[in-house]
Amino acid sequence: MKVLIVDDSQIMRKIITGVLKKLKVNDILEAVNGQEAVTKVSENDDIGLVLMDWNMPMMNGLDAVKQIRAGGSKVPIVMCTTEAEKERVLEAVKAGSNDYLVKPFNPKDIQNKLGKFLAACTS
Amino acid sequence: MKVEYINPFIQSVQETFYSMMDCKVSHGKPFPTKDDGLSDNLIGIIGLSGTAQGNIAIKFPAETAKAIVGGLVGATFTEIDSSVVDGVGELVNIIAGNAKSKIQGHKISISLPTVFRGGMHKLTSPTVSYLTIPFKSDKGAFEILISFRPTVNEKEEALHESAYSG
Repeated sequence: MKVLIVDDSQIMRKIITGVLKKLKVNDILEAVNGQEAVTKVSENDDIGLVLMDWNMPMMNGLDAVKQIRAGGSKVPIVMCTTEAEKERVLEAVKAGSNDYLVKPFNPKDIQNKLGKFLAACTS
Repeated sequence: MKVEYINPFIQSVQETFYSMMDCKVSHGKPFPTKDDGLSDNLIGIIGLSGTAQGNIAIKFPAETAKAIVGGLVGATFTEIDSSVVDGVGELVNIIAGNAKSKIQGHKISISLPTVFRGGMHKLTSPTVSYLTIPFKSDKGAFEILISFRPTVNEKEEALHESAYSG
């Protein structure tokens, strides 16, 4: 399964990559902003999961989700963000996000959240 | 500065360090921020806007920054490189984002973080005052600096609060 990590922080990409590798996910793509994410999703139709930050330069994660859905992709998208307010979560779901993970999180939180998507993709 | 505006930031620091690094932190008594001139600190700062305005900064001595960002990714850093700088920015982003969701009755947006090296004199101005909250951890001491000013009066705050909880 191929996973796309979208985050402007290289440290956060490294943390999430470490967790994915422990879950035996080694096919990992990275994007540093929403625009790059939209391009990578359109160029890689085998991406099975997108982990999307919200606050990023160039294009934020919410706009990227909207553009990915406007392009017709049904790839599961999990927002991984500090934006924890209820109305922000609803905004993300309305835009087309499938799930939500609030920072700060520990590796176990990521494992638990991603486990169901990874299982669905490999079953 | 009202205690209900300070406590969310303290809680957010404690939650972030414990959740992401299994690192317990304790805090000291807040005091007005002083100009510390030239120094080797690494400061991550993020802007707040909306029904309150201000900034939140996290100030690490260089050694503490290396230890804390190393703890985030399970690595050892011997110098302040782009990863350490990036890690400080991400930490202040998470702390500010987490804290804003705990501040009742306000709708606040955060900017993208900026990280620089130096002293607090670069942040101080005649119109902006900061409060410093000192923290201790097993990875070293650090400080959180808060400038927080509501831009709406209490009546409007209550209206925002009722709209927000609805």
